[in-house]
Amino acid sequence: MPEGIFCNRTPINTVEALHTLLADKSGKTYYAEMNALEVDRAALKATLDKTCKSRIRTWLEICAHCGMCADSCFFYLANNKDPKQVPSYKIQSTLGQIVKKNGDVDNAFMQMVMDTAWGKCTCCNRCGMYCPFGIDMGVMFGYLRGLCYSQGFVPWELKIGAGMHRIYRAQMDVTSEDWVDTCQWMAEENEEDWPGLEIPVDKEDADIIYTVNAREPKHYPEDLAEAAILFHIAGENWTVPSVGWEETSLAMFAGDWEACKLQVQAVYDAMERLKPKRMVVTECGHAYRATVIEGPYWAGLKSGKTPVPSFHYVEWVAEALRTGKLKIDPSKRIKEPVTYQDSCNYIRNAGLKECAREIMSYIAEDFREMSPNKEHNFCCGGGGGMNGLGRYREQRNIGLKVKRDQILATGAKLVVSPCHNCWDAIRDLEEVYHVGIRWSFLKPLLLKMVIVPDHLKSEE
Amino acid sequence: MFDKILFATTGTPICDNAAHVAFDIAKKYNSNLLMFHVLGMPSRGFSTVVKDIRTGEVEQYDTDYISWVKEELKNTYEKYLKDSSSCDIQAIAGVPATEILRKARQHNADLIVMGAHSRQEETGAARYRGAVGTNMQHVARGARCPVLIVSRPCTTCLWYFSNIVFGTDFSKASFSAFLFASKLAKEIGSKLYIFHALDMGAVLAGKVLSQEDVEARIQEARKKIEKIYLPHLRDYDNFQIDIWEGIPYVEILKYSRAKNADLIVMAHHTKEVEPDQAILGGTVEQVVLRASCPVASVNHPDKVSG
Repeated sequence: MPEGIFCNRTPINTVEALHTLLADKSGKTYYAEMNALEVDRAALKATLDKTCKSRIRTWLEICAHCGMCADSCFFYLANNKDPKQVPSYKIQSTLGQIVKKNGDVDNAFMQMVMDTAWGKCTCCNRCGMYCPFGIDMGVMFGYLRGLCYSQGFVPWELKIGAGMHRIYRAQMDVTSEDWVDTCQWMAEENEEDWPGLEIPVDKEDADIIYTVNAREPKHYPEDLAEAAILFHIAGENWTVPSVGWEETSLAMFAGDWEACKLQVQAVYDAMERLKPKRMVVTECGHAYRATVIEGPYWAGLKSGKTPVPSFHYVEWVAEALRTGKLKIDPSKRIKEPVTYQDSCNYIRNAGLKECAREIMSYIAEDFREMSPNKEHNFCCGGGGGMNGLGRYREQRNIGLKVKRDQILATGAKLVVSPCHNCWDAIRDLEEVYHVGIRWSFLKPLLLKMVIVPDHLKSEE
Repeated sequence: MFDKILFATTGTPICDNAAHVAFDIAKKYNSNLLMFHVLGMPSRGFSTVVKDIRTGEVEQYDTDYISWVKEELKNTYEKYLKDSSSCDIQAIAGVPATEILRKARQHNADLIVMGAHSRQEETGAARYRGAVGTNMQHVARGARCPVLIVSRPCTTCLWYFSNIVFGTDFSKASFSAFLFASKLAKEIGSKLYIFHALDMGAVLAGKVLSQEDVEARIQEARKKIEKIYLPHLRDYDNFQIDIWEGIPYVEILKYSRAKNADLIVMAHHTKEVEPDQAILGGTVEQVVLRASCPVASVNHPDKVSG
């Protein structure tokens, strides 16, 4: 059987196909079928010829196997320094071999590659910082995931996730109507406490276009309400688009570049259509990386930049605090020791470390840095889609040990975590290891301590 | 009055009394009943699994699982369903309070019926106890329609409803509660008790109040009731006004027992508190947990005016 019913090389493009795949509980049949999935060697070779250019070929060639990257990888540290977890080994034994053999690889090999690309790497790019040659194995793993996806060797959940983006332009089944309705609902629910509160949809020429993670309208709409209230207090002229409101990209985790392009194009179209001065995205790490850092290249934008300047939520918060748009009541600042989870995607890979420190200087009295921190921080343990992959749950939980020990060493019981995947990983590490910590996004913390101007207070 | 009733259930014994009342009311008022269950908590980040609210187990969220949960609900409520003419069952993943409010809004429900969903409940999912504990509070505060909370077997509910106690603290939300209580009383022809408890804890604030002072304040409250509420009763005269002093939740419980109340109507407009303190939260929580009749929490005029 060259291709299976569930496991094949065809992306999910219809609701029917999506439901069919979802109905295969935990991907049981999907993974069984994968054992018989043939590698399309000619296609793999053609893809390599077309896309594997000098940068990656050079990186693979010049790696001196010096092992400097070993200690940079949290999987290596968490797995008792297993040599098979050394980043250079992981990439040489997978992508290195595919390139060397020019695509002439078999099914068993591709399954090993998949298990390495998703089960032993979160694409946190930390190893790249420590390589004396500047070889970025995170980037190469991203590329490798794309090769795997094109051959149908992709974890079941991510095939679904990429399909969601293709169908809904969102990582979950949230339609434009659902989204707009949720905006109206949240405005209604909070209008009594916040007179004049609005969630303006499709307003042209606003100062800010706000975009989110689909999990917010789907399951956590209060996050949207909190964002609205904070914009309201800050007096921002803002809007959300009815279409192109989703910034995340499971397609990026899956290596489905076509879906990646479709997804970011929807957001860029919204920018072009509504002509805001700038874009602000919610507290999500990979959403920012996908739409702001990688997206312009997927969409073929020559400038390498989004159509309007784009900001992560921490940039907006830091600016609002700095300019006094948001003022913190000094008596309500966080008194207990508190630490901050630097998300790989917007700190290491986008350089926003100082924004995070600036925010903490306003809201916390006893801020404790993790060690290492900023761009040197370790991945939460759940990045790159790993949190959601049942097949690698055990490996993920082992990897969490590094973050656990980092947090415990600070002495803080509260972790500020402005990233959905970090938030989940830290929640899960508490569940697995019971260390007695709490975690929070910024918005609920800010709402507890921000000074509300008199004219915005409700009567009662 | 109650064309569409949303019965929000955890599917656990804590909701048994609520189920009884929900099906009874639906029968009496010939209402369309929607049984709604939020089955699992989703993650914040990417995942296709949810944590089952009842068992605490991780489950793959798909149509199979939903069908299985619905089947379980059918078995649990079999004795009511066989006598019920129209009851739809729906189950969905999410944060319970959020999904209940979303469904009530989409469904345009006239009444939500739920159990106390308190932290006393043993769900086995200790991790989510906090979320479950604030559930009732969150729904009561946010719902646009009255929320009927049933935590104990109703011993006086022979005919829904014959003695309605409306407790007021004169807040804006309390006026919505009054609109509901008076509308219901007029439609059914039940006796309406308008009650206010002078909060001695808050009034005292360290100083001793003389008996004259207490009586003056009681007089003042009576005048307020006469001014705010009575004009809206128009010619309906089957009502009684009483003002007692003490700790509000104790007084309203004593009063409703004395009057054989089968429904207490109050507003629930206190700000949300930390999950750990929720159990000791406002007057409504205390009344809900201790009352021997259902408590309707009404905070918005949308579904009760006119």
